[in-house]
Formats: sequence, structure tokens, C-alpha cells
Amino acid sequence: MSASPNHPIGKSVPRKEGRKKVTGQALYVDDISFAEMIYGVTVRSSVPRGRITNISFAGDTPWDEFTIVTAKDIRDIGGENYVALILNDQPYLADEVVNHAEEAIVLLAHPNKYLLEEARRNVRIEYEELPAILTLEDSVDKKEIIWGEDNVFKTFLVDKGNVDEAWTNADLIVEGEYFTGAQEQLYIENNGVIAIANEHDGVTVWGSMQCPYYVHKALIKLFALPEDKVRVIQTETGGGFGGKEEYPSIIAGHAALLSLKCGKPVKIIYDRAEDMVATTKRHPSRTRHKTAVTKDGKLVAMDIEFVIDGGAYCTLSPVVLSRGTIHAAGPYFSPNVRIRSSAVATNIPPHGAFRGFGAPQGIFALERHLDKVAKAVGLTPDEFRRRNFIQQGETTATSQIIREKVDMAGLLDRAFELTGYHEKRQRFAKENEQSRVKKGIGFATFMHGAGFTGSGEVYLASVVGAEATSEGRVKILAASTEIGQGTNTIFAQIASEALGVDSDLIEVAQPDTANVPNSGPTVASRTCMVVGKLVESAVLALKQTLVGSGLLREDYSQSEFQEACRTHIEKFGPLKTFSTYQAPPNIHWNDEKYQGDAYGAYAWAVYVAEVSVDSLTYEAQVEDFVALQEVGRVINPVLATGQIEGGVAQGIGFTLFENVVWQNGRMANNQMTNYIMPTPADIPPIRVYFEENPYAYGPGGAKGIGELPMDGPAPAILNAIENATGVSFDHVPLMPEAIMENLTNVLHGITL
Amino acid sequence: MMRLPKFEYRVPRTIAEAVKIVGDVGPTAQFVAGGTDLYPNMKRRQQTPRTVISVMRVPELNQITGDGKSGVRIGASVTLTDIVEHPLINRDYPVIAYAARTISTPILRNMGTIGGNLLLDTRCNYYDQNYEWRKGINFCLKKDGDVCWVAPGSSKCWAVQSSDLVPVMVAIGAKFRLASTLGERMIDAAGFYNDDGIDYLKKRPDELLVDIHLPPTNGWRASYQKLRRRGAFDFPVLGVAAYIKFENGRANGERTVRDAKIVLGGIAPSPIQIAEASAALIGHAFDDEYIQAAAEAAYVKARPLDNTDFVMNWRKQMARQYTLRALRALAVSD
Ligand SMILES: Cc1cc2nc3c(=O)[nH]c(=O)nc-3n(C[C@H](O)[C@H](O)[C@H](O)COP(=O)(O)OP(=O)(O)OC[C@H]3O[C@@H](n4cnc5c(N)ncnc54)[C@H](O)[C@@H]3O)c2cc1C
Ligand code: SF4
Repeated sequence: MSASPNHPIGKSVPRKEGRKKVTGQALYVDDISFAEMIYGVTVRSSVPRGRITNISFAGDTPWDEFTIVTAKDIRDIGGENYVALILNDQPYLADEVVNHAEEAIVLLAHPNKYLLEEARRNVRIEYEELPAILTLEDSVDKKEIIWGEDNVFKTFLVDKGNVDEAWTNADLIVEGEYFTGAQEQLYIENNGVIAIANEHDGVTVWGSMQCPYYVHKALIKLFALPEDKVRVIQTETGGGFGGKEEYPSIIAGHAALLSLKCGKPVKIIYDRAEDMVATTKRHPSRTRHKTAVTKDGKLVAMDIEFVIDGGAYCTLSPVVLSRGTIHAAGPYFSPNVRIRSSAVATNIPPHGAFRGFGAPQGIFALERHLDKVAKAVGLTPDEFRRRNFIQQGETTATSQIIREKVDMAGLLDRAFELTGYHEKRQRFAKENEQSRVKKGIGFATFMHGAGFTGSGEVYLASVVGAEATSEGRVKILAASTEIGQGTNTIFAQIASEALGVDSDLIEVAQPDTANVPNSGPTVASRTCMVVGKLVESAVLALKQTLVGSGLLREDYSQSEFQEACRTHIEKFGPLKTFSTYQAPPNIHWNDEKYQGDAYGAYAWAVYVAEVSVDSLTYEAQVEDFVALQEVGRVINPVLATGQIEGGVAQGIGFTLFENVVWQNGRMANNQMTNYIMPTPADIPPIRVYFEENPYAYGPGGAKGIGELPMDGPAPAILNAIENATGVSFDHVPLMPEAIMENLTNVLHGITL
Repeated sequence: MMRLPKFEYRVPRTIAEAVKIVGDVGPTAQFVAGGTDLYPNMKRRQQTPRTVISVMRVPELNQITGDGKSGVRIGASVTLTDIVEHPLINRDYPVIAYAARTISTPILRNMGTIGGNLLLDTRCNYYDQNYEWRKGINFCLKKDGDVCWVAPGSSKCWAVQSSDLVPVMVAIGAKFRLASTLGERMIDAAGFYNDDGIDYLKKRPDELLVDIHLPPTNGWRASYQKLRRRGAFDFPVLGVAAYIKFENGRANGERTVRDAKIVLGGIAPSPIQIAEASAALIGHAFDDEYIQAAAEAAYVKARPLDNTDFVMNWRKQMARQYTLRALRALAVSD
């Protein structure tokens, strides 16, 4: 193929935008300014549910200087007052009723930020309060119907074999109930946008976001405009973790409404307190397991009920639920599996996308529960799992046949070797008798599907373009965003490998809906595996065009390639090629039955945590962490390792630190002084290892990786805490207070 | 958006000038040192001075003088980083270097001063919130409101003394020098704090904290233990300072405790001295039996309220454990 010795895949080439970021040249949205630009703020509801009876503009604010937007303005422009997503139930601005605290009601804009802040305080909104549902349990129990007919956004049923008939064949049935809490994404850069809107040009938005085309779709509806009158441009984005998947559509709409009314560019940037209190978080969950096993520890049936709290509006809850549902049964073979899942409504701000997307919740429950089942059948946690790991050719909960090579037992062996697991289990048991500080080691084994669930990718039909420039460079045209995870760099590596030219020769276009095709949202661990593959095919098509036109030999050097690009453009004009998603062969998914090939590929992983629990202060500390995973081919080891380390740290936060305190449906600790995320002083060394097993349909053999590390920490750590203390905990975040309650009960001989 | 309101900024070069400005401007003036406490409070509209007077350029306030033999004076504007790194403080007053090191993070210690730390506003979950938040639940007693959300029947504010250095200063018997246009006065750290979350200092607003006088190190030792959620950043939700002094000479090969103090921070509006703990220790050998009794006394007296991180019960339980740790740390070497 190519004459270039250059094979960047598998090498840690430096981040494309790294230099700009560390030297402060990268422009985030708040660094950008336009002539005449003014500022916008949002006035929000103070009650979780109620009817708006009056809005008044009080105080000594010079109201005539302000641009004021309410729901009425959306009616006046003939737009749709909903954030177009799945069910379209969430208004841009609450009209008559509010369904959660911090719901946007009024927008204000003014050139002076100080006056704006005072003005926000002088908007008086009166309500007739309505009874609100503030917890998942109350919603499930229908204490009040607050959404639709039954408070339910979405349900799924996965049914394999016949669970009801299986109970009789079981030697043992083990039940358990598990809970996870909300979690804030805490990207470094808060949500922010700038909008310019007018009758003539339509709407243009610059902002911090993951999915420009989601924003595009939502603005088309809000402003009742044709596609080409809405333009969305992603600015450098300081992290997302899912928190900038659906939310930017809202803030972008708000800024654009203000801009349309006042005729000037409008910037809205949330501060941390507003970002934390008003935007989406991870869905809290409750999972119930009923598991049938034989006395030699073979799974006979798994009956799983999985409920997530979606908050006040549907937003992305059905998709989060779908991923959570499919991951709830893990990398095990069981002939009979039933998973009943639902996403329910509460009067708290909508929960949304967050790294893992429902999977960490279900996997936490499963991996805790399997330790319980193992104990009940008298096996060690590892031996029990070994007897049930899914093998090549066996079927998952959705009856998907695993065609690729999978070796969970081998991964487990390696992880144990890396951690000295067996030796530590024995030693800790002995040492703990004498010691104030109890040590423990535990693990979780899991899989994570890459790409959209089921037929999602087929519906999306993502497109990626490649464009040759007259300097002989290649520009990748995709809407997939760089949000710190390395999109630009790996796209350049993939293209460079496919073309056999330097990765410096590859440029990645800024995602701008006017210039790049829709390569789908930057979510679901799909960017590398799915979009990366399209990058590969688009540049190969480009090469094919050059070869086909006779300008390039099959065996070319870099300068020949550049020369061929130049000549082609001179002779025939712009050279662009596009590639559209096509499902790998033999992928079948039945949306009604929720059966079939849920994901094209899975990453497989074993995470091991070592903890110490102080029996006097009840503080749990993670002492060591090993993350071992098989993710196909690793494209960029430094970036991949960074993804895993970051995800594990975020997972440790989810497990032991990050506790959203709810007060009347509002996050009470919406600042970083009392929403506690772990610091480097609280995180152990995170040791990251990869097994490589190239995936035939991924670029260079890669699968997805971004969400995976969020799945393992919580169950591994709680399994380790059980090993240390002898007490089994069933919820995260697990605070010292909860450990104290249970440990003192044990000390006083009260059974749990 | 949390922004600083507009204010006038003054930078005096002498003590006399500093106290004159505050005297002239009156109650709308306030001193600032590193600003790590004041500026966030201003952004949240908890404090609303119109004139802010920096104390960072007054040379007398930036010095550390003396030594362990004669006692040390630390100027109020000395940064926490300088204290943490100061050789003499590390040698003669290691407890102060240690407690200062537990404060927040290096970045905040580079800006924050010892004076600002000793005058730190009291803290409460219902108060350390932005304006909208506080308005949302209706303002509390401490600022703009008339109800306490922590103890609704209470006419008093229970916001918590949250400096790591305050319990240590009280335990070792430090003194503070204050100056105003009316002259100077010295006050004991032990008598400087009021058990009231609003009026928490016995300092008039027009008084400048000039320096901190540490007593000579003639035979006492002290330690500090801090409880917080993470290994960095967090304010103490319990801080235990222990101080102990032995009789000269030994009885039956053991030394007898002549003086002892246990001071708890982070659980009440003022630092709490546990007289019962002192009583349990004084006149006895410094062994585990009496240490346990002192820790028990600390546990009984610790009555945290539900207005900081962690639940009350756990913080109360920890008063025993942390007092044990603080005292045992003093028993190690002779
Ligand atoms: C995220 C964060 C974490 C923190 N963690 C901790 C912690 O763990 N432990 C802890 O103890 N503190 C902590 N702090 C509080 C604070 O930063 C420190 O206490 C710091 O030492 C305050 O000093 P400063 O010079 O910045 O005070 P400033 O903010 O400048 O002043 C504080 C107060 O003292 C007054 N003042 C200052 N100097 C004088 C003077 N010479 N005379 C009269 N009045 C004066 C000011 O008017 C103001 O009321 C934290 C703060 C933050 C923001
Ligand atoms: S203790 Fe009461 S009065 Fe004081 S700050 Fe807290 S809520 Fe307000």
C-alpha cells in the first residue's frame, strides 16, 4: 500500500490541540466576544411543582433597558416551545406550570452584568404550589400522578427463556435490592453559549457542547426555521461526560431567543452554582434481583427489575434506560433472563446523560448481588463467576450470540496476578483480626457495549467526509466533538494510518453544522469505533478517487500523495468524499422484543480494588486499583490510559464521595465546597492494563472505551469493603456515616 | 452569575493610616488580607463593605520575629504558606506549622493569611450559599433574615467556627494585638471568640489585628487533629487541639500532668474548651486510662449541629477518636 513507514495507530502521538490548550490559546466560548454583544441570564422557579399565577418586574431596575423573554415570545415567533429530543415534553420556558425547581421561566439580557444580576433578583414569580413527587419510590408508588397517566416515561422488557418456570429447577434463590445516587458531571468548563439571531440570517450559535446536531435539531423547532437557517458551531469544550449532550440545546435556545428579540449577540455562561443546580445529573436507580442457581453454582435464572429516576421531563431517559437494561445482566450466561425496567418521573430537574449512561447503575447492582449469590452457594466470588462467564458462541440476555473471542476467565487470572488477589485475601483475613484498620480486596467483572444500542446506529446513519486541500492536506469533516477525550488526535491517527501519510497532514475540521456532515452525537463510546471507522472509509475513498483518476500509483510516497491532491483539485475542482454508516454483517435487532444484537462489540473488563476501612472513624480509603480491559486495539495508549484513569477517579467519586443532597427537589449542595469530589489525595495509584484483541469492524481494530471505566469502581470497592468488614452494603455513595451505622450494629450483635 | 459588587479599594502603608481610614469611613469599611474568605463572601452578598482596606502592604504586619525562648510574634498578614515553610515555626511551634498545613490547598495558602484565618467568618450549610439560594429558602438570621434553619426555634445563630488555627491558638495560650484610632490592646485567644455565629468576635469592626503573640516554648507540647471528608481542600468539621505541660521532675518514674487543655473547633460558633478533659488529666500520670477519660469528656461535650458536612452523630462520635489521637500524639516521645 503506502510507502510511508508511518504507522501511528498504537502510538501515543501528542494531542492535536494540546499545545493550544496548555498555552492558553484555545478559545473557549467565554473567551469569545462579538461587537455589541450583551449578556443573558435565566430566572428560574423556586418551587418543585406549581402553577405560575403572576410574574412581576419589581425593584428599582430600569426595566425598559432590558430584553425580557417569556414563553409568550416563543408563541409570537410561531416556534415550538419544547426541546426537541425524544418525547418533546420539556418546554424551553415554563408557561403556565413548573414541574421542577430551577426550571427556566424568564430570560433577561442587558449589557451590564451587574445590573443583570440585580434584575434577576427583582423578578417576582408567584405560584400556586402543587403536590410534588421528590423520590423514585414515591413516583413508583404513584403517590401523586405528575407525568402522563402513570409517572412512567418508558419501560422495557427483555425476556429470554422462561424465568417463571425456572424457579422450580433451582437449588437456591437469592434476592437483593440495590441503590445508586445522583452524580454531577463536573466538567471543568460550565455550560455556555453565544447566539446571534435575526429575521434575515436565522440563528447561529457558538458553544460548549458534545452534539452540535442535537442543538441544530432543537433550534429548528424552536424557531420554526429551515435547516439551513440554523447553524451550530462547537467551540473548544472543557469536558462533557454527557452533561453537554442534551443540555446545550436549552441554553442555546435561550441565548438565541434573547438575541432575536434584542437584535444583538447574546452570551449566556452559567456559573458553577447555576450549572450544578439546574443542569442534568446521573439518574438515581433502584435495582431488584432475584437469582436462581444450582447448588454447584450455575446460573439458572435472573429476574431483574431496574428503575431509574428521570426527573421532571423525559429528555434522554429512554436511551439511558435502554443501555442500563441491557447491561444489567452482565457478561454471564444464564438460560433464563427477564429484565423489567422503567424510567419514572419526579419533580426534580431532569436527569440526563452521564458517562456510562445507565450501565454503571445496573452493573453496580449485579456485581454486588453476585457476591451475595456466591456466598449463598458457598463459593468464592471468583469461582462463582468463573462458572458462569459467557463464552464465545453463547448468548447474552438479549440472546445475542457472542461471535468474537472472549476470555473473561483469562482476564480475571491476569488481574489477580497483577494485584496478588489470593495472597491478599488470605493475609488480610489474618491481619484484620488484630488491626484497627481493616483491609479488603474485591473486584467486578463486566462488559460495556460500544456504539448506540440496538438499531440506533442504523437510524442515525452517520456520515463522515474527507476533503483534500490544494496544499495536499486532508481535512476530516465530522460533527463528532473533541471534549478532552482525544477525538481530533485519534481521527488524525486513523486517517494517517489508512493513507500512509503523516498525522500532521491530517486536519480535523471544527464541528460546524454548516460545514460538516452529521456524524452523530459524541456519546455512547461510539466516536472511535463507529465514527473512526467512517473516517477510515472516507479517506480510503479519497485515496481510491486519486488512484482511479490515474493521478496516484497504488504504491505512493507522501509527496506523491500531496502532489496528486493538488493536481486533482486543479483539474477537477474540490475533492471531497463521504462515507455513510453501514452495520457490520449479521447484526440483527428486534426493537419490539428487545432481542438480538444489542451492540456490535463489547469491551470486557476486570477491575480490582483494595481498600482500608478504619474501624474507629469508619472512613474507607481506596489503597490500590487495577483496571484491566480488553478494548480491541488501543489507538493511542496515553489517551486511552487517561480515559481509564479519569473514569476510575470519577467512579471512586461516585462510590465514596459525591453525594447530591436534595432539599425539596433542589440540589442543596450545589457548590464545590460541599459537593465533595475526590482530590489526588483521595485517589490511589490507578494501574491501567489493556489486553488487545482487534475487532474486525473497528478502525485499526479498535472498540469503544470512554464509558467503560465508570462501570467497575463502585461494585469493586463495595465488594472490597465487604471483604474488609464482613458487612455488605447495597448503595452508593457510601459515606462513613452509613458505614458507622452498619458496623456499630455488627459490633452490638444486631443482625442486618 | 456570582460577581464582586463594586467597591473602593484602599492600600495603606502604616498601621496608623490603616486605622485612620477605617475610622473615617466607618461601618461600611472592612479590612481584607488574602481575600480568600472575604471576596467569596462578598460575591455571595454575605458581607457588603463599600470600602475594602488591604492590610497586605503594612510592613509591621508582614514579619515574624522572636524565637521559642522568648516567644514569637507573627504579623497578621503573613501568609499561611510562609508559616508552613518557616524554619523557626517548624522547629519551635511544629503544631502551628502542622495545623496551617491542613488548611485548604497550596493555592489558597499562598493567598490566605494567618490574620484572616483567625478572623474567618463562621460557616453554615444554610449560609455559605449564593444570594439566590439563600433567598430561595428565605434568608436566615445570620444575614438578612429572622429564622435559623438549623435550630428554627433559636434566637441565636449556630454557624460554626471553622479555622484550623483557632483551636490551636486557644490551647497554647496565644495573645492577639489589636489597634484602632483609640490605641492598642492585647487580648487572649481564649477570650476572643463569642459563642454566637453572628457576633463571633470580641473585636470591634474598626480594630485592626496587628500580630499574634505565641508564648515561649517552656516545656509544653501541643498537637492538632483535623476531621474532614477529603485529604485536601475541606474545612474542618471537627478540629481537636491538645496541649499538655508536665510537672518538673518525676514521681515513681512517671511525670505528672501539670496543665492540660483540649479545645474543639468546627462544632460550635466558638472554639470549645473541655474543662472536664483538663480535670481528667491534671495531676495524673499521662497514661491511657486518663487519656481515655479526657476523650470521653470531649465526646460528652461535643454537641455538633446539623449545619456542616457529615451527620451530627458521626461528628460527635469522632470527637472521642480525634481527642484520643491528639493526646496520644503527645505521649510518644519524652
Ligand atoms: C475552598 C476554601 C477552603 C478553605 N479551607 C480552609 C481550611 O481547611 N481551614 C481553614 O482554617 N480555613 C479554610 N479556608 C478559609 C480561608 O481561606 C483561610 O482561613 C484564610 O486563612 C483566610 O485568610 P485571608 O487572608 O484570605 O482572609 P480574608 O478573606 O482577607 O479576611 C478574612 C476576614 O478577616 C478580616 N481581616 C483580615 N485581616 C485582618 C486584619 N489584619 N485586621 C482585621 N481584620 C482582618 C477580613 O475583614 C475578613 O472578615 C478555606 C477557604 C476556601 C475558599
Ligand atoms: S446557624 Fe442558623 S442562623 Fe446561623 S447561619 Fe446557619 S441557619 Fe443561619
